[in-house]
Amino acid sequence: MEKFQQSFPSKPVAWPASKKWALSGVVGSGNLEVLIEPNAAAPASVSYAVETSFPGYKDSWLAALGDFASHYAVGGTTITIHDQGASPIVITMRLRQALDLLTSAKP
Amino acid sequence: MSRVPYHELKARERIAAIVDPGSFSEIIPPPERVMSAYLPKLGIPVAFDDGIAIGRATIAGKPVYLAAQAGQFVGGSVGEVHSAKLVGLLKSAARDRLPCVFLVESGGVRLHEGSSGEIGIAEAIRAVFDCRAAGVPTIAVIGSDIGAYGGMGILSACCDFRLMTEHGRIGISGPIVIEKWMGKEAFDSSNRALVWKTSGGKTRFLLGDAEALVNDSTDAVRDGILSLLSRSAKPDLAFVKARQKFLQERLDTFGKTPDPDAIWAALGVRDVAAATLAEASEFVESFAPKKP
Repeated sequence: MEKFQQSFPSKPVAWPASKKWALSGVVGSGNLEVLIEPNAAAPASVSYAVETSFPGYKDSWLAALGDFASHYAVGGTTITIHDQGASPIVITMRLRQALDLLTSAKP
Repeated sequence: MSRVPYHELKARERIAAIVDPGSFSEIIPPPERVMSAYLPKLGIPVAFDDGIAIGRATIAGKPVYLAAQAGQFVGGSVGEVHSAKLVGLLKSAARDRLPCVFLVESGGVRLHEGSSGEIGIAEAIRAVFDCRAAGVPTIAVIGSDIGAYGGMGILSACCDFRLMTEHGRIGISGPIVIEKWMGKEAFDSSNRALVWKTSGGKTRFLLGDAEALVNDSTDAVRDGILSLLSRSAKPDLAFVKARQKFLQERLDTFGKTPDPDAIWAALGVRDVAAATLAEASEFVESFAPKKP
């Protein structure tokens, strides 16, 4: 297991007040789960916490996570990830899904 | 309304597709992070919900307690936290006298967690019987590829009703385990047609192990649950004795039958080859013998 945390600057994001969190993905082979929660203390940055069963890929992770923070407005959130060997493209897709779930008007 | 294949959905998608929109109120949701204490010690990543989402919801306005298992997470296995959530849900259902619905997708007890999982599933099964004794309906929905095996197969069998799709399977030992013990001549686990015809929805429906067989769509599953919600089968002594007699007679009749097709024919299926290919609704309507 490898664990690390990292923050990146990101534009502030807004979401419906009724929502407190959003979850995408399931922990399984080649897959990951992403939990996104509000973090009012830091509206202009996103704070990631990653736990992965595949050690040794921290550089790739940080590249994917930094990319997401610069391409999408996710400032003011904490994103926690449980991973079982997802590829960078799957990571980006799950991050987008979690963000969509958080910001959409649907319950 | 949609015709999304039920078996393709994830646990939370299944809940969203079956309950009234926005009605699901989750108990111990992911942000509470009640997670397995065992898996990290084995280098296995944990899940925020330990592979099961539980809560209250309404289906067509009727309040229910509901659980959905995530088969992708360690095979939907029942660990300490997972089983505690099942037990808590069942106790809530018994207390509030509301039906309890399980969207099952599990290979059984999580062996990584040793006795905790074993004890946990036993407590959950006891809680199922507490519900039944109180006349609170318990319904197991079995329509995923993983199905209901091991302890979850037993728990499902202990519920009032089982609602299955053709994709669903219920059993104790899985096909590979049976092959390893009995040999490939006795049971060939690579023969998918044989595996599904032994433990799959159609055969379980014919044998009387499943009360309902529906198409592999979320609408059909939802309608099937609704039709069972109002019913309850309180297990008094006469009920248990009648069931025991039925099972003994079934074993006497089919215990030595080597071929599922022969069982289908003996149970009154009109055209076994066509029935094999029929959709569930067509199967129930046109091929299976009518239930008394």
